[in-house]
Amino acid sequence: MASEPISIVVVDDHPIWRDGVARDLGERGFEVLATAGDVETGVRAVRSTTPDVVLMDLNLGAGSGVDATRKITETAPGCHVLVLSASGEQEDVLEAVKAGATGYLIKSASAEELVEAVRATAEGDTVFTPGLAGLVLGEFRRMAAAPSADTPALSERETTVLRLVAKGQSARQIATKLSISHRTVENHVHSTLRKLRLENRVELTRYAIEHGLAEE
Amino acid sequence: MTIRVQDATSPMWLGTGLLRVVTYPFAIAAVAVNYDTYARPWLGVTVLVFMGLWTLVTLAYSFRPALRRGWLVIADLLVTSGLMLTTLAIFDLSIPEHVPSVITTVWGSVPAVAMGVYGGWLIGASGGLLLAVCTGLARLTIDMSLFTDAVLLIGSGLVIGMASTAARRSMVTMQRALRTEAATAERERLASSIHDSVLQVLAHVRRRGGELGGEAAELGRLAGEQEVALRSLVASGPVSSAGESGEVDLLGLVRPLGTSRISISAPAGPILLPHDTANELTSAIREALVNAERHAGPSAQVWVLIEDLGTEVVISVRDDGAGIPQGRLEAAAEEGRLGVASSITAKIRALGGTASLETAPEEGTEWELHVPRVRPEPSTGLARLVKRRQHG
Repeated sequence: MASEPISIVVVDDHPIWRDGVARDLGERGFEVLATAGDVETGVRAVRSTTPDVVLMDLNLGAGSGVDATRKITETAPGCHVLVLSASGEQEDVLEAVKAGATGYLIKSASAEELVEAVRATAEGDTVFTPGLAGLVLGEFRRMAAAPSADTPALSERETTVLRLVAKGQSARQIATKLSISHRTVENHVHSTLRKLRLENRVELTRYAIEHGLAEE
Repeated sequence: MTIRVQDATSPMWLGTGLLRVVTYPFAIAAVAVNYDTYARPWLGVTVLVFMGLWTLVTLAYSFRPALRRGWLVIADLLVTSGLMLTTLAIFDLSIPEHVPSVITTVWGSVPAVAMGVYGGWLIGASGGLLLAVCTGLARLTIDMSLFTDAVLLIGSGLVIGMASTAARRSMVTMQRALRTEAATAERERLASSIHDSVLQVLAHVRRRGGELGGEAAELGRLAGEQEVALRSLVASGPVSSAGESGEVDLLGLVRPLGTSRISISAPAGPILLPHDTANELTSAIREALVNAERHAGPSAQVWVLIEDLGTEVVISVRDDGAGIPQGRLEAAAEEGRLGVASSITAKIRALGGTASLETAPEEGTEWELHVPRVRPEPSTGLARLVKRRQHG
């Protein structure tokens, strides 16, 4: 175990769940710095405490967890956002990942999976469930169907790795299968997310220029 | 939520007003041409001026919905009929065989249109009939021309009346549809927030139950199963037919198959396939899942990956069970008891695709199904038949 506990902020509008998760993580040696029930409080709490990991619910009543994720990754780049969502809304998950979340877990994940995911997120690793891999794969295919000059594409290796992840193979199984190191598998996965985010930024910039928002 | 809908007949009222403005110059021209044959030219000019004023008065209902009243429409009819009859006083009737032309000309037909717009086909046709009678009286002659005018007057009132009734009806239908849509959207919004809360509680019960152990663990497990079932239901939404092409979203059919042990990975957007293709694929997936459960045991995990490559749809169904020992598959095939596997293969072949099964001891089994996306065209059936022949 590291000498300093991993610090966490939990953003979730459902009090029973929020406090339950906070208590569970506290009992397992994590330091829960704050909890919040809406976008504004959440973003403020993260800015003032700068935790290692933000556990983010996507369905935040009045506001969206996607917005909160964007604000957090823009203003507090050191904090890693792990999306923990109840109702697997596919589009929202994809948007949150584009906005900078480095992982996604559905709430039905077991306590062990959650702890594991929080540790990985704190170390800057991506937490990729098969479901998320399927989404990302689909998104790149969608972009490839109508490509423009700066559309990012997955390399053949990245596609292979993502497909294996989507079919439930662990990083270790994939490493063995492809005869590459565990770390290389992680890198491939990470790089797909980076490309996705880049595309998102390019899109946003293009939108801003087209609508005269970026005249500086 | 309120829905503001414009009066469906508004454009028709505007048209009626426009018709009167457009026909007025005809009346002016007729007065200019016939001026010399008038017994009382001053009356002709006075009637013409009055027609101009009345045109302005009746323009009111074109622009003010509140004035689209029965009394104004009836007044219009009576005033116009009266003006038509002034023909008798304007023309010199002493000349035999001189048929006077009605002073109002085609301008006088507008009330029939207005009545049709106001009250439907019967009222419109009645208005036309009254105007036809007035035309006959004003001309003091019964001839073919009168019959032609009568048919046109009654006909325009009738047709416009039918059109306005139809417009009103479709507007009512549309309003009802809009209201239903708004209600559905509201219900969905409420449902999604309720679902979210229920999911949260179920997830919490499952977590706590698992930690407490014993009987609580059993409760937690049950809650967990319901949580996954509800989640896939919410995520899939209604299986709606995607429009006139008869295509359905494959994901809407497959996502509900997900459970705590079956993970479904797919793109965010819909994968639209012809109705039959989507159903056959779904049933092939279902069979593969049943197969996995039978061979890999009830505790095995299964992952379904659905990919849309544009020209084809690829589906992988993998389990982490013991796999099928080498030789057993072939032996089974030889003995002709490869029920499930051959059923899946046959289904996929019928769709013009391919199915392959990979398995190794301790590595589970993996189905990979490739199905081409064929655009619906007449040659498809034949091509499929030919393909089937080649395979079978």
